[in-house]
Amino acid sequence: MADNRQAALALGTKPVGQLLWQYALPAIVAMTASSLYNIIDRAMIGQVVGPEAIAGLGITFPFMNLSAAFGAAVGVGSSTCISVKLGQKDYKTAEHLLGNTVTLNLIIGFLFMAISLLFLDPILRFFGASNVTLPYAREFMIVILLGNMITHMYFGMNAVLRAAGKPKHAMYSVLFTVGMNILLVVTFVWWFRWGIRGAALATVTSQSMALCWQLWLFSDKKELLHLKRGIYKLKSNLVRNIIAIGISPFLMNATSCVIVIFMNNQFVRYGGDMAVGAYSIANSVVMVFFMFVIGITQGMQPIVGYNYGAEKYDRMLRCLWLAIACATVILLVGWSLSMLFPRQIARIFTTDPTLLELSARGIKIDMLVFFVVGSQATITNFFQSIGKVKVSIFLSLSRQLFLLLPMAYVFPMWWDLDGVWYSMPVSDFGSFAMTIPMLLWYMKKFKKNDE
Amino acid sequence: MTNKIIINVGRQLGSGGHDIGRMLALDFNAKYYDRELLNLAAKESGFSEKIFEQNDERKGFFRGLLNVQTPHLSGGSLYKSNFSQESLFQFQSDAIRKAAEEGSCVFVGRCADYILRDYPNVVNIFITASMKYRIQQIMNKQHIEAVAAKKFIEQGEAKRAAYYNYYTGKKWGHASSYDLCVDSSVLGLMETEKLIATFIRKRFDL
Repeated sequence: MADNRQAALALGTKPVGQLLWQYALPAIVAMTASSLYNIIDRAMIGQVVGPEAIAGLGITFPFMNLSAAFGAAVGVGSSTCISVKLGQKDYKTAEHLLGNTVTLNLIIGFLFMAISLLFLDPILRFFGASNVTLPYAREFMIVILLGNMITHMYFGMNAVLRAAGKPKHAMYSVLFTVGMNILLVVTFVWWFRWGIRGAALATVTSQSMALCWQLWLFSDKKELLHLKRGIYKLKSNLVRNIIAIGISPFLMNATSCVIVIFMNNQFVRYGGDMAVGAYSIANSVVMVFFMFVIGITQGMQPIVGYNYGAEKYDRMLRCLWLAIACATVILLVGWSLSMLFPRQIARIFTTDPTLLELSARGIKIDMLVFFVVGSQATITNFFQSIGKVKVSIFLSLSRQLFLLLPMAYVFPMWWDLDGVWYSMPVSDFGSFAMTIPMLLWYMKKFKKNDE
Repeated sequence: MTNKIIINVGRQLGSGGHDIGRMLALDFNAKYYDRELLNLAAKESGFSEKIFEQNDERKGFFRGLLNVQTPHLSGGSLYKSNFSQESLFQFQSDAIRKAAEEGSCVFVGRCADYILRDYPNVVNIFITASMKYRIQQIMNKQHIEAVAAKKFIEQGEAKRAAYYNYYTGKKWGHASSYDLCVDSSVLGLMETEKLIATFIRKRFDL
């Protein structure tokens, strides 16, 4: 506890730049690691298996996210409840929460697997699969779905590790999974030539290895929180609390799945399978740079939060400006690279001339105003950090639901495939334009408060 | 002093629990904490009191999002948010424990009965009153109509119950959680307080 207070105190006194560096660095490392894995996964599939495979992979993307959304709902819900109970030294309830998390993950993981396997083809069709891409998507998803319970457990246990005061272990298991995944993907896909199935197998295998380690950590009887008999039976009040907390992050995640499903369908409709592949490639490129920004915003969160609470508004705003500046600089680098060398970047993922052409053009349009995304994402997170959750939800939904969705529907009516691509930078700029006045309005309020 | 006592008073809205708590504090020479706790919690955390006031005995739906990073799937945030209701609750319960260490006190609401469940010299009281009586009380205090008062009570109690049930895992106002439950509208505030005081004296052999 004393440790905690000291860390909190430093948040209100140490130089802001130093703090941001200290908090953002680990987050950036974790984020970059996972986007690196994403790149290598796709590059392997694109280079070795072929351009249709990368399109098939793009189709499955929202499917995997939906599964992760279920896992995250339970993970966030139970880790929040557990940290409350640990804070109250109520170890018995915390243990029951741990056991209930395991059971809940197994049940949801199994149901998701069973239902998805039963209706796999219609679901993939709905997500935008064609006769060409369906076999790849199916092959990939069967393995992923069979390992679905493992995936859910892995995410759930990771969240619980963090709540149990072992954030470092949680990070190690993420880094381990990423590293192992890269190793296995290269082995299975490039060396053994197992095709797209190899990539799925790599994901499931590395997650099950990490899960073994997590379960081993939780079976240590010396730990306050450990797995034992009699904690697995679901208790309605615990489950209710877990779900009550998990439901709002679930809805956010589910919304973004819906958006990707819709975008994929628009790409298929106006540009065919290759366009979906190009979208998937462009998305990977965006993610690499965007993950940096997420790392920065994660680092900013505790600093801004504390100083807001302590009414040190000048420090809070200085941290915000600094974070915006860093995010924008990184995205400017990404932007200039993408504008200057779109072909070379796309070449990482494919050798197919058609896909190459489409991806290069797509990257260029998609990232046209990429540098404004930094401030948009930082400010959205800023509102979250100071507890203005509704403003934050509004801002992040406004980009996806209110701008991107209608634009991606209307634009292609005039401009065909280019219209789908252009809907992205236009909605980026639109949400940027909405975010700035919102921030200025709040800053006026802070200034008034200061006087 | 060795024989310090802790009295936790849970109360239905408009039941006069606040006033009874004050009288009990006078009777037993104890410190009285109701909204004062927010101030203590603020000092504990370094946050301003306003933050605690906004979240007092409340549990919001969207606030669950404070525990995750919005645009990022599944990973969750690396750092705990200081503003999640859960961490504000933690600060508040630290403040409650600290106060309980210092001497005799009366706590009104805020899950103090759960937070101090392992302390030896604790007595948990719950005060109810008939709906008619409570509506009258709220009407007098807030100068509103009977219908509005009823609505105020129902909404306020739904919030209080959600807050209590979430953090304690028990049912708010359920007799088994308390040592004594009493309807203050039967005897009136003064007499009810005397009754409770007698109960407490017997309980601690004072």
